[in-house]
Amino acid sequence: MASELRVNTLKDAAGNNSIATSFVAGGSAKAWINFNGQSTPAARDSFNIASLTDNGTGDYTPAFTSSMGNGNYALGTFTAGNNTVATNSRSFGSGTKATGNHRIQIGYVSSTTGGLTLYDSEANDIVYQGDLA
Amino acid sequence: MASLLKVDALTGVTTAGSISVTGEGNSTTTNLQQGLAKAFISFDGTGTVSIDTSFNISTLTDNAAADYSIAYTNNVSTSNHPVTGSNIGSSETNYLGYICSDGVAQATTGVTVHFVFYNGSDNNDQDPVHLVTNGGLA
Repeated sequence: MASELRVNTLKDAAGNNSIATSFVAGGSAKAWINFNGQSTPAARDSFNIASLTDNGTGDYTPAFTSSMGNGNYALGTFTAGNNTVATNSRSFGSGTKATGNHRIQIGYVSSTTGGLTLYDSEANDIVYQGDLA
Repeated sequence: MASLLKVDALTGVTTAGSISVTGEGNSTTTNLQQGLAKAFISFDGTGTVSIDTSFNISTLTDNAAADYSIAYTNNVSTSNHPVTGSNIGSSETNYLGYICSDGVAQATTGVTVHFVFYNGSDNNDQDPVHLVTNGGLA
C-alpha cells in the first residue's frame, strides 16, 4: 500500500547526521541525461527528460517531463573529447533556459580564434539542479 | 508542528528503490533515488594527487598530466551515467579549460577524465578538480 510520510527533519537512528527534508528536495538533481548527439540524437539514459530535439549541428533541446519552477536553474555539463584531436576537444556553449526545456549548443574551441565551432558530439552529459514547478 | 524522523534507511513501499518527494513548487514530485548524486569528489590533481573530500569514491588514480581516473565504492548501474566536472584554474592560462572524457569509455566501476586548456592541446595538472556522478546505483 502506498504511504505518505510528512516530516521536517531526517536523522539516523542514533540521532546523528541530521538533514532537513527541504535539503533533500532542494539538493536533489531534478533531471539528467546522457545522450548521443550524432546522427539521430538519442538519450542513452535519463531522468525527468521527456524528449530530445535536434535543432541542427551541435544544437539540442532536452525537454523536461515535469517543468522547473523558473528559468534560473543551474546545470552541470560534460562531453566526450580527445585532447589530441582539435575537433574532439569539445565544450558546451551558451543555451536558452526555459521552465519546460533547455536549448544547448556543443562544439569545440578554435585554437586560433577562440570561437566555438558547433559539432555533433557522441557522448554528452547534463545534470539540472533547481526548483520544480 | 515541527517533526523529526530518526531512521538509518529509507525504502519505498511499492518499489524499494523508488520514493517520491514533493518538489519546491508543491505541485509535482521528484524521485528521491534518481535525483541523488551517487558519487562526488574534490581533489588536488597536482604533484601526488590527493582527495580533499569525496563520497562513494574508492580510489583516485593519476594516469598522466591532467588525466585522472576515479573508481566507485558502489558501482553504478549503467556505463552511460552522467558525470559532470569543473576545475578552478590555478593560473591565468588554466581559467579557460574544461573537463572531458578524453575518449575513454565510461564504465559502471568508474570514469577517466581529462582537463583540456582552451586551445585543445595543453595538459596542465589542476587543483582543485570537482566531479559529480548521477544516475542509478547497481
